[in-house]
Amino acid sequence: MSLTGIITVLWYSALPWLWLIALMIVLFLVPQILGRMKGYTFSSTGGIGSKVLPPIVFVAALFLLPIHTQSTIGYVNTWVDWLNLIGASIGCGIYAWLVLHPICYMRNRTA
Amino acid sequence: MTRRKNPELSMSSKNTPKANERRRDLLKLGLGAAVAAPVLSVAGNVSANTVQTNAHIVISGAGAGGLAMANRFARSLPGARITIIDAREDHHYQPGWTLVASGVWDKKKTLSKTGEWIPSRVNWVRGMVTEYDPDNNRVTVSNGDTIDYDYLIVACGLQLRYERVEGMDTNLIGQGKGVGSVYASIDAAAVTYDEISRWIQKGSGTGLFNLPPTALKCAGAPLKMTFTTLSRLEDTGRRDNFNVEFMTPSGGLFGVPFYNDFVKQRFTDQGVVRNDFWTLTGIDADAKKAYYSVRDGEDQVKDYDFIHVVPPMTAPDALLNSPLKFADDSPFSDWMEVDRETLQNPNYPNVWGIGDVMGMPSNKTAASVKMQASVLEQNFLAYLQDQPLPARHNGYTSCPLITGIGKAMLVEFGWDSKLLPSFSFIDPKEESWTVWVMKERMLRPAYYAMLEGKI
Repeated sequence: MSLTGIITVLWYSALPWLWLIALMIVLFLVPQILGRMKGYTFSSTGGIGSKVLPPIVFVAALFLLPIHTQSTIGYVNTWVDWLNLIGASIGCGIYAWLVLHPICYMRNRTA
Repeated sequence: MTRRKNPELSMSSKNTPKANERRRDLLKLGLGAAVAAPVLSVAGNVSANTVQTNAHIVISGAGAGGLAMANRFARSLPGARITIIDAREDHHYQPGWTLVASGVWDKKKTLSKTGEWIPSRVNWVRGMVTEYDPDNNRVTVSNGDTIDYDYLIVACGLQLRYERVEGMDTNLIGQGKGVGSVYASIDAAAVTYDEISRWIQKGSGTGLFNLPPTALKCAGAPLKMTFTTLSRLEDTGRRDNFNVEFMTPSGGLFGVPFYNDFVKQRFTDQGVVRNDFWTLTGIDADAKKAYYSVRDGEDQVKDYDFIHVVPPMTAPDALLNSPLKFADDSPFSDWMEVDRETLQNPNYPNVWGIGDVMGMPSNKTAASVKMQASVLEQNFLAYLQDQPLPARHNGYTSCPLITGIGKAMLVEFGWDSKLLPSFSFIDPKEESWTVWVMKERMLRPAYYAMLEGKI
């Protein structure tokens, strides 16, 4: 399949999830913007939540993503399967950190 | 070739469901405009050329093939009059039916409206072609219209011949008599799931899974239904209480030797009894008995608690009663005659075929239509310009072979069973979660992109 074809299919696949993508962008942007208005940077000190929860999200995603697709981690078989699963789980973990880190920063600052 | 102006067309154009299309377009625009711009600049339409013509092109059938060609021609043939003939208001994503019958999908996920996929400049005549008259470039429609054409695209799909299984009636499906069939309709697929559930709840008994003695669409579907049912039986923890048997009229399970051997081995491993050269000839639904003819053997009768009936299939009667079919002595005598590489009818060069209706060794899948649509468009445009036909269909077909609920193999092959993998990084001989995700999440969007002529 051509690159154009792959991009087309990805775009059509994303269409039903645009609302979720938009929601995730909002959830990402709101704490980032609010935090930065109060001096937050990526290198700022976060909190226990931003240290513990992202790894938990990563590990949970390893199991939950296959379940979400009506499958099971037991059927993750080929190197492509593992690459996709670990990559998606890392993505979930990073997203959790991007949301939680500024929230923890602001909470610490308030305290 | 005669070219006549058809007064029926202006009448049928009144029925074009522009409202649906506008709603769809607005929805897409509203949701995606900001995100879409950079993507769509790359993921544009696949039509390579346009040809100016005032020809009248009639497409018989608004299934996957007919809609794909309508959308492609609407872009690549400005000026052409395009008419599509089909009575069905609902469009079905049929590759999802096995997922419905396995309890993975709700049936609503497979449904859309035919009108949503028909371009506004295409006339939609609601009816089915009842007679093909290629000598006079004319088709007769079930609503009484006769429509003349310059060029005809036959995309009318196939006919399920349940009546060739004595005692079988689609009304029996899902009625608590142990009869299921994923092919009959989306409702039949949904109640087939219920019927399998009843059998499982019973706690024991025999399930019979069948292949037909003819070519069939989605040839992997009978296997998928067996594998997903095995998944459900194994999940009960009482697999040994259930007897599962699979009947093959030809002795083969799959056209490609590697997968044939794979499925045979998997059936052995999962305790499926194979009965080769058995053909389902009748059922007694009240007595729950199935009747089989056996090659070189005596007829057999089997008791069952659940039976998955896969009907014999042929081209629709209208086509079989026309000069467009293969000759009676051909192995494809029940199908439309086309050159399998150019998709052109050799006797009537202004008639072309796409999809299930054509007589080919395999190629009755939506994935085949995706490949055929591109070939047909290129060749048709060249033919209009009196140029040599440039494209050749390589027999590509694809079947994400579900080997259990949650895993699948990406089977892609062409003529002579040659493997034609689309993705170098996906091993076509390995069961995979990724392939399952593709089947469950991505092939439906890909199908809709194909309908719109985007891929």
